[in-house]
Amino acid sequence: MKMRSSVSPLLPREDAREAALFFVVCALCFLAALSGLVARSAYAAADSWTDQVTGQITIRVRGTDADTSKAVELVKQTSGIVSASALTREEAEDLLRPWLGASGVPADLPLPHLIAAEAAPGVTGIGEALTAKLSAADLDVTVDDHVVWSTDVKRATDSAGLVALIAVGLLGATAIAVIAFATHATLLARRDMVELLHLTGAKDSFISSLFEHRFLMLGVQAGALGALLAFGAAAFILFVVKQSDQNIWLLPQLSLSLADGLILGLAPLVAGVAAMFAAKVTVMRSLSDML
Amino acid sequence: MAERDQPLDEPAVRFDRVSLTYGPEADVLADVSLQLKPGSMTFLTGPSGAGKSTLLKMTYLALRPSTGRVSLFGIDTGKLNRPTAARLRRRIGVVFQEFRLLDHLTAYENVALPLRVAGDNEKRYRGDVIDLLKWVGLGDRLDARPATLSGGEKQRVAIARAVVVKPDLIIADEPTGNVDEEMGDRLLRLFRELNKRLNTTLLIATHDLNMVRKAKADVLRLADGMVVRQPAPPPEPKVTPA
Repeated sequence: MKMRSSVSPLLPREDAREAALFFVVCALCFLAALSGLVARSAYAAADSWTDQVTGQITIRVRGTDADTSKAVELVKQTSGIVSASALTREEAEDLLRPWLGASGVPADLPLPHLIAAEAAPGVTGIGEALTAKLSAADLDVTVDDHVVWSTDVKRATDSAGLVALIAVGLLGATAIAVIAFATHATLLARRDMVELLHLTGAKDSFISSLFEHRFLMLGVQAGALGALLAFGAAAFILFVVKQSDQNIWLLPQLSLSLADGLILGLAPLVAGVAAMFAAKVTVMRSLSDML
Repeated sequence: MAERDQPLDEPAVRFDRVSLTYGPEADVLADVSLQLKPGSMTFLTGPSGAGKSTLLKMTYLALRPSTGRVSLFGIDTGKLNRPTAARLRRRIGVVFQEFRLLDHLTAYENVALPLRVAGDNEKRYRGDVIDLLKWVGLGDRLDARPATLSGGEKQRVAIARAVVVKPDLIIADEPTGNVDEEMGDRLLRLFRELNKRLNTTLLIATHDLNMVRKAKADVLRLADGMVVRQPAPPPEPKVTPA
């Protein structure tokens, strides 16, 4: 006897409703993945900026070249200092070029005497120690160890990262709520089927597994497409940034690194597991109303 | 086949002073007590709205009584946890009045549903399901979906689904309501065969007195929420042409 060889799934497909849900989950995953990339970029920017300035000390000496040389010697003898040197006029001009332009610094413009020093990693309070030591030697100096500046930068970038992480959390919670709502709607639409399975002796876990599998697949597929779109969006932003030939404060950190790949790769899995979890909780709660 | 761990002296179905009340004055069932012996065949008759379907629903664990106790195979159904209730339901085959076939499944898949739920392998049950469908006259409609089946064909698929696991208890709500007399007789023979060969207990709600007469089985009459045991109706007098 001729018969279809494949067995139909117990839970029928619902094309229109599932297409709409797929779109919503995909959009949420896209936004969540993009927020994840922004959060990682913000934290990476914070680390990068603070790494660059940590340990760097700039000392401005108001006095003669001899005062500057004396100050360099005193700084070098200070415990915790790895290196110290006075900046030449050319080096000082380089520092001023962004403000004064490529035409250079007028020859008669007096430039401050600057010393660039580097503290050993982990050394703290070096700014105060140098100020005290140089002042005791009758030198008029201003010591800047960039702590205030780097703290402000780190606070700002950390805040941006935190906001992005909150956005990821909110988008994730929204996706779970949407899937729970959709599962509930599917359950209501298929109440007859669920009741029949229940009365035929199906365990709650069996009925739940039908919905879990359905929404796991939907979450993974929608999440994968959302992550792919987020990758495309990030690549587009990178392309635009590189085309502009400008150093933009945060965007240069938005590189597509291994960590970004991990975020994009995890998005479908997280979406699938969250969808499965939402479906399971919703189905088990609904089934508990039946005898 | 489902497990058969019922004590020999325990009734297959037992109602102890069971009542079901909707609202303050609407008693659907009032103080009903009854027992069905294992391997018995019982018809439940009564006027429409007497509570037959309600009584059946309580028996297949879809409704809980307001008061009283319902026991199946010696197990108090009021004290079941969910996994045990699921196992108990697998020992019951139900023929629903409205068939309750799944529209997206074929006739074959609908009949095989309880076996799928029980986790049986399709290769093992495939032949049995096909044989059963042939037996109820649907051997050529295996791939047909319910939307393309007539009322009588749906009825036969529903009956095949109820008996496919050879349950300990079969509950049928108007099983011959949509089939002709010849098919009704075949279904009655199937029920009798299950009853005799496998000691399956049968509880059949029906308006079909002709079926009740032919079966010569126990009859419970339900009226005004009360159950009364009745003798089987006498055979219909043969009309001879004058």
